[in-house]
Amino acid sequence: MEQPLELESDDDLTDSEESVYSGLEDSGSDSTNSSAAEEEEEEEDEGEQEEPSNGAAPKVKGAPRKSKALGADPPLKDSEGLSVPDEYEEDSSDEEDIRNTVGNIPMEWYQDFPHIGYDLEGKRIYKPIRNKDELDKFLEKMENPDYWRTVQDKMTGADIKLTDEQVDLVHRLQKGQFGDVHFNPYEPAIDFFTHEVMIHPVTNRPADKRSFIPSLIEKEKVSKLVHAIKMGWIKPRKPKEDTPTYYDLWAHEDPNSILGRHKMHVPAPKMKLPGHEESYNPPPEYLLSEEEKLAWEQQEPAERRLNFVPQQYRCLRAVPGYPRFIHERFERCLDLYLCPRQRKMRVNVDPEDLIPKLPKPRDLQPFPTTQALVYRGHSSLVRCLSVSPSGQWLASGSDDGTVRFWEVCTARCMKTLPVGGVVKSIAWNPNPTICLVAVCVEQSVLLVNPCLGDKLLYGATDQVLESYVPPEEERVQPVQWVTATSEEHSRGIRLTVQHSKALKQVTWHGKGDYFATVVADNSNMQVLIHQTSKRWSQNPFRKSKGLVQCVLFHPIRPYFFVATQRYVRVYNLLKQELTKKLMANCKWVSSMAIHPAGTDGGAGTVPKVMCGVHPVMDVPFPPPGDNVICGSYDSKLAWFDLDLSTRPYQLLRHHRKALRSVAFHKHYPLFASGSDDGTVIVCHGMVYNDLLQNPLLVPVKVLKGHTLTMDLGVLDVVFHPTQPWVFSSGADGTVRLYT
Amino acid sequence: MAQLTARFRTENPRYAVEDVPFSVPAASETADLSHLINKLLAARGADHKYVEFDFLIQGQFLRVPLVTHMEMENISTEEVVEIEYVEKYMAPQPEECIFHDDWISSVQATEEWILTGCYDQTARIWSLEGKSIMTIAGHTEVVKDVAWVKQDSLSCLLISASMDQTILLWEWNVEKNKVKALHCCRGHAGSVDSVAVDCTRTKFCSGSWDKMLKIWSAVPTDEEDEMEEAANRPRKKQKTEQLGLTRTPLATLSGHTEAISSVLWSDAEEICSASWDHTIKLWDAETGGLKSTLTGNKVFNSVSYSPLCRRLASGSTDRHIRLWDPRSKDGSLVLLSLTSHTGWVTSVKWSPTHEHQLISGSLDNIVKLWDTRRCRQQTVLLQIPSHSL
Repeated sequence: MEQPLELESDDDLTDSEESVYSGLEDSGSDSTNSSAAEEEEEEEDEGEQEEPSNGAAPKVKGAPRKSKALGADPPLKDSEGLSVPDEYEEDSSDEEDIRNTVGNIPMEWYQDFPHIGYDLEGKRIYKPIRNKDELDKFLEKMENPDYWRTVQDKMTGADIKLTDEQVDLVHRLQKGQFGDVHFNPYEPAIDFFTHEVMIHPVTNRPADKRSFIPSLIEKEKVSKLVHAIKMGWIKPRKPKEDTPTYYDLWAHEDPNSILGRHKMHVPAPKMKLPGHEESYNPPPEYLLSEEEKLAWEQQEPAERRLNFVPQQYRCLRAVPGYPRFIHERFERCLDLYLCPRQRKMRVNVDPEDLIPKLPKPRDLQPFPTTQALVYRGHSSLVRCLSVSPSGQWLASGSDDGTVRFWEVCTARCMKTLPVGGVVKSIAWNPNPTICLVAVCVEQSVLLVNPCLGDKLLYGATDQVLESYVPPEEERVQPVQWVTATSEEHSRGIRLTVQHSKALKQVTWHGKGDYFATVVADNSNMQVLIHQTSKRWSQNPFRKSKGLVQCVLFHPIRPYFFVATQRYVRVYNLLKQELTKKLMANCKWVSSMAIHPAGTDGGAGTVPKVMCGVHPVMDVPFPPPGDNVICGSYDSKLAWFDLDLSTRPYQLLRHHRKALRSVAFHKHYPLFASGSDDGTVIVCHGMVYNDLLQNPLLVPVKVLKGHTLTMDLGVLDVVFHPTQPWVFSSGADGTVRLYT
Repeated sequence: MAQLTARFRTENPRYAVEDVPFSVPAASETADLSHLINKLLAARGADHKYVEFDFLIQGQFLRVPLVTHMEMENISTEEVVEIEYVEKYMAPQPEECIFHDDWISSVQATEEWILTGCYDQTARIWSLEGKSIMTIAGHTEVVKDVAWVKQDSLSCLLISASMDQTILLWEWNVEKNKVKALHCCRGHAGSVDSVAVDCTRTKFCSGSWDKMLKIWSAVPTDEEDEMEEAANRPRKKQKTEQLGLTRTPLATLSGHTEAISSVLWSDAEEICSASWDHTIKLWDAETGGLKSTLTGNKVFNSVSYSPLCRRLASGSTDRHIRLWDPRSKDGSLVLLSLTSHTGWVTSVKWSPTHEHQLISGSLDNIVKLWDTRRCRQQTVLLQIPSHSL
């Protein structure tokens, strides 16, 4: 096959060259046109006419292209190079598209034309005429043995018959091989440089001198840099901060958001672990008897205690598959899925936290802590105590029928006044300019001038009492005022107020002119109010409201406190009406004390400082009398805050036995209670300026000392008017001072 | 048994021993050391009587075995320890009892006589042997305090303060053994609880329950001071009551808000007063001005001043004795608290000769002599549990 092809090509070469030139020169145009317009041209008449030349033209045209493309026949070229000028010998690029004068354009542009481009003379270069129909094509296919290797050149429209080399090339390219037959892609590689390290340099040239001499240019550059650094033009490079910056993506996330909810993972409730009855070989007592089995079957499935029947198997291998396994798993999943779980917030309260925060007693100094003095002398139980307003003297009344006056600081009995009866109550006149003590003895009140202290004072008191002028008309009085006899006068007794019944209590008004007495009677004559200067007594109440236990005057206001067994009534003496009725919440009130003026909350512990801070205060604040304490025989102490309610603000149950007496300190925020259990309990009772702040009550000290006699302990407690000291009188016949 | 090297030293030349280191058992106590010293002294002189000694190491009294003490005080046991010894104060034994009919409120002694104030409204003069020399009656109330003003061989001046609000200045003729009330000092409106005579013996001051501090002249004169009369008091009655010439105070110092319990002259021109209002006040006697106030938190019963160590000692109702530096201006006024009494400390007194010693009396019936040198735990040199109520 190759031989004839080569021969043909040889011919073609010559022809083509001629044709090329002819084409370029003059008439070649026809032939080229005709060859190119093989497929497209149907319209042109001229093309059809020149059809006979077509047959030769393809051959002529295809040949030079093949020879150029192959380039494999140098001898042929050389032989022909002699005859043909070789100016295009090298340049084969133009030669290929010699009849293509339009350049590399899309050939569709010429689709509707019979020609492609123009020749040098401006004439059309016609496409080869291609008006073959299907039949012609078929015939050609049948007849032409080279039809399979005939392709159409799109640039010219001519048919080209591929040579064997070309076909071979196509085959090779289709197989992915190199186009050149002689190219060996697998030639052995020869390294130019060896991979081994060589001991000698590649060149043996001696080193330059300049490589040994410091470079002047570099020196200049360095000195410039040094200068710049010195001048501060170049700043040292900032050390790179290598701490990476992180961003807390979740910093601002709302913990209460929906996402936050997932943080609270609530684990699924655990299933009950299998017990003995689930065993494949349960102990016989777990196996159901026949009746039980029957009962189990008759029960509703929801009511069964076990949802299976325990069964016994010989060995584990003999246990059959559990038929309800999937069912139970499914139910479990339903339980977990459909039943919402919630974390149960268990209230974890330390019981210590529920106790109110009270300050430590040692922070509430001063208060009486230890027994300092014992006033001995009475031979029977000491029922009542009273301290002079100056705090120098103490008066005590006893069952032995005497009243004793003591010097407070030495426990020296200065005077003993026999009164001939049980002294139930004693009260020193609170007015510091009057030296007078009221003593309750049986049915009468004795007004005694103890003749202690300033001579001027007790002299003046006597003069005031003596200066009484009886009114012209005798008034009807419930009591009888009797001036003391000279013998009594020498003992100190000045006046006797004789009542009809035995007396229980006497108490002075703050101004020192009025005093009130309580009679042990169940009539409306229980409480009487007396005026010393006019020697006038009156009965303020028309009817009895119960058994009166004790009465007290408000320190500054015209109020009168009357304690019956269960209630404390507060009367306004000016308006003559009941102001308040306090429910004591206890069975039997024994004693009562009114919070005095001047216990300022802010500086209560240091009253002197307080006086410096608030120099002038017309009405002490908080106003006195807003707080009342009541002791009761059922061992309770009730603190009333009159502003809050008529019920106790606090009920203190510190004593083990009945309370006999309660007392407030005049300046310090202290109150004390004496009880039948022989102890005195001192409490810190701070009343604050701030109306919103409730009083602070802290028990600070239990004072012991009195011995129990006839089941009676402490009978009376009284505070010293200026010092944080408390006196207590006991059934053992002593008076004790705690400091 | 471990040994320690100790060097003994004393300031009393009578008991001086050689200044050479001795090796003593480490566990030895005061009695052992005392034996050692006595042996040394006996070896030196034949006529030596046994004396009990007390030992101080670096100003601290030895109360425990030597090695324990040194461990406590961080003293090295390797080196030579310098131990100072002094004659031990032995608890005195009552030699004589002077019986009164009633409570004794105050006592003041001189080299020859003892003056006591009594609750039976009299003051008494006793000889040192316990013999009653004179009974001074004149007050109508309890005598609360007494003081000697002047003594010489012929006559003595003394004052007595009473609850009847007066102070009487008496002249006691020693030879004739007669007393005469020279002056009746009137002006207080309460019981006069304390009097003190100044160092020049021409003035005295008094503190009273009526919160006033008054300064009086102690020089007897023949003139009677004019007294503003209480208008409604019958003059005749007053005259009959009066004993001696009336005298009015030179100055009245007011400032206390409670009763004054104790007064003293800390200096020629400075008065110190302790009060129930929890303060000790220092007054300038010349101008009558208040110089400074020391504030405590309990009632003061008694105060004493030592010119040797320039400190005030106060006894108060909280059973402590406190030492004060009256000159310190900053807040830390209390230098030391001495605590071991179990009742009110009613009386304190500095030693007039020893700068570290003070004596205190308390309602727990014990008199204690204190040495302030021992700081860590106060040294009670002796306790006299003699009184009984």
